[in-house]
Amino acid sequence: MSAGPDRVHLDAGWQGNPLRPRSLIARRYTLYLTATVAVGAMTWHVFFHGTDWGRFGGIASFAREVGRFLPDLTFLPHVVAPLLETLLMAFWGTFIAMILCLPVAWLAARNITPFYPVTYAVGRAIMVLSRSVHELIFALLFVAALGLGAFPGILALACRSIGFMSKTTAEALENVDRGPIEAMEATGAGRLSVVLFGIVPQVFPIFVGNVIFQLDINLRRAAILGMVGAGGIGILFSDVMMSYRFDQAGACVLGIFILVTMGEFVSTRIRARLVYGEVGRRE
Amino acid sequence: MSSVASSEVGVARDGYYSDRRAARIAKLIAAIGLFALAFWSVDYLRIPIERFAEMFGRVGAWVAARLFPPDMEYAVTDQIVFSVFETIEMSLLGATFGTLISIPVAWFAAWNVTPNRRILYPFGRGVLVVTRAVPVIIWGMLLVEILGFGPIAGTVALTLLTIGFAGKLMAEQVEAIDMGPVEALRATGANRICTFVYAVLPQVRPAWAGIIIYNWDSVFRASTVLGFVGAGGLGMFIRMQVDVLDHQKAFGIIVIVIVLTIGSEVASHFMRQRFR
Repeated sequence: MSAGPDRVHLDAGWQGNPLRPRSLIARRYTLYLTATVAVGAMTWHVFFHGTDWGRFGGIASFAREVGRFLPDLTFLPHVVAPLLETLLMAFWGTFIAMILCLPVAWLAARNITPFYPVTYAVGRAIMVLSRSVHELIFALLFVAALGLGAFPGILALACRSIGFMSKTTAEALENVDRGPIEAMEATGAGRLSVVLFGIVPQVFPIFVGNVIFQLDINLRRAAILGMVGAGGIGILFSDVMMSYRFDQAGACVLGIFILVTMGEFVSTRIRARLVYGEVGRRE
Repeated sequence: MSSVASSEVGVARDGYYSDRRAARIAKLIAAIGLFALAFWSVDYLRIPIERFAEMFGRVGAWVAARLFPPDMEYAVTDQIVFSVFETIEMSLLGATFGTLISIPVAWFAAWNVTPNRRILYPFGRGVLVVTRAVPVIIWGMLLVEILGFGPIAGTVALTLLTIGFAGKLMAEQVEAIDMGPVEALRATGANRICTFVYAVLPQVRPAWAGIIIYNWDSVFRASTVLGFVGAGGLGMFIRMQVDVLDHQKAFGIIVIVIVLTIGSEVASHFMRQRFR
């Protein structure tokens, strides 16, 4: 947005800043004004149009309302088993996606796709579809097709994760350094050994990092899938919410909080190690 | 390659061999443990592994018979179009409010420029950790209970999502800045707000613009399902139609969601290119 020397108006008047011509300032403030008016209108529509704020009462009643969610710590032992199920669902969903994303990435990597005009488009379409449908929608459909339980949840997680994982893998494949491959081809290496020793070692650290990142995300996703009956802590959470045991719901949220925070901590540490050596360094 | 060469030469003098052997044994134990865990978890999660082959045929048949063709006539009725606008409104408002709140939170939670390291830094970090660790749907459910059904709960939930998601990335960007300008401004006696506005903000502005646009994209994805728990938007109709087993209508709405999500992704892509 910086005004170059060609924009300098020397006749801008005694108070004008030659580097910020008035037209630029006017345009900028028009933009600000439009944005403010738009946000104001939407705020009015969402928050005040047709809402009876008088019914909320004062701050005291609001605080009482929130206070009902204070966690019931004696309920925490009941939360452990569903949390374990959530964790296992995240593992399995990520594992299935990890395997299924390889062929998709192969199709969607521009440099190695077998038949560019068709297979590239197919790979990209699978990615877009997987990334643009929310995991709850996948879970809803799989529960409708397969019945309740953890298995439809795992499939939903896998379907949702394929997009991101194959996208990052395909990008890694597209950015492979040609040098080692050409060197191997020059020595007369076969196609399989070029892939195994020329491409895989370059892509592997990136791939592992993405799997761990995806595992972390899937942990969050698995925590809510139970709301549509697909296993995990979500089932317990929506049960206690429906029976108005808000203190127990608070305990569930506390459990999710602990699990997700731990997952993020571990995944960040492992990925930092991957970046700074250890596994990332080729032996 | 290099490992083969070095082991032939015998680099035992710095304990290289024993390290490798220990690592190999640890890897073996980890692999066996993982396999055991996998077998046990299949049983624990009651995955019907013996019915796998039949199952996928069933899903395919179910999709072909029940989902297709999507009922697009239902998907363009006034009700749905209105809720599409409501969804977009929720995502825009949630992203805007969330961004406005996460600017000070990111400032507090960045160790290098935080105004107060004893109180405000832990406070900022705490806000980020709490908003980040609870999934947005759960925020939506809790807020529906507190604020009532409708887009208000959804908007507040999306605001919290933005604080946890964008706020963390923004704080990380602030922590990565060049401290030179900050020290120069401090040396002139500028107060903390001036330092933040004139030394920190100009450095992080391009990165923040990218984060904010990307964040809107992910907020929009989340806003399409907040209706599942009654927090406003399109999701309510998907859940409603699935609950009455009218899957073709539900699939019609899902098609709309897919189109909108792709649209938002394209829009955010162009916006990011423009602000780069």
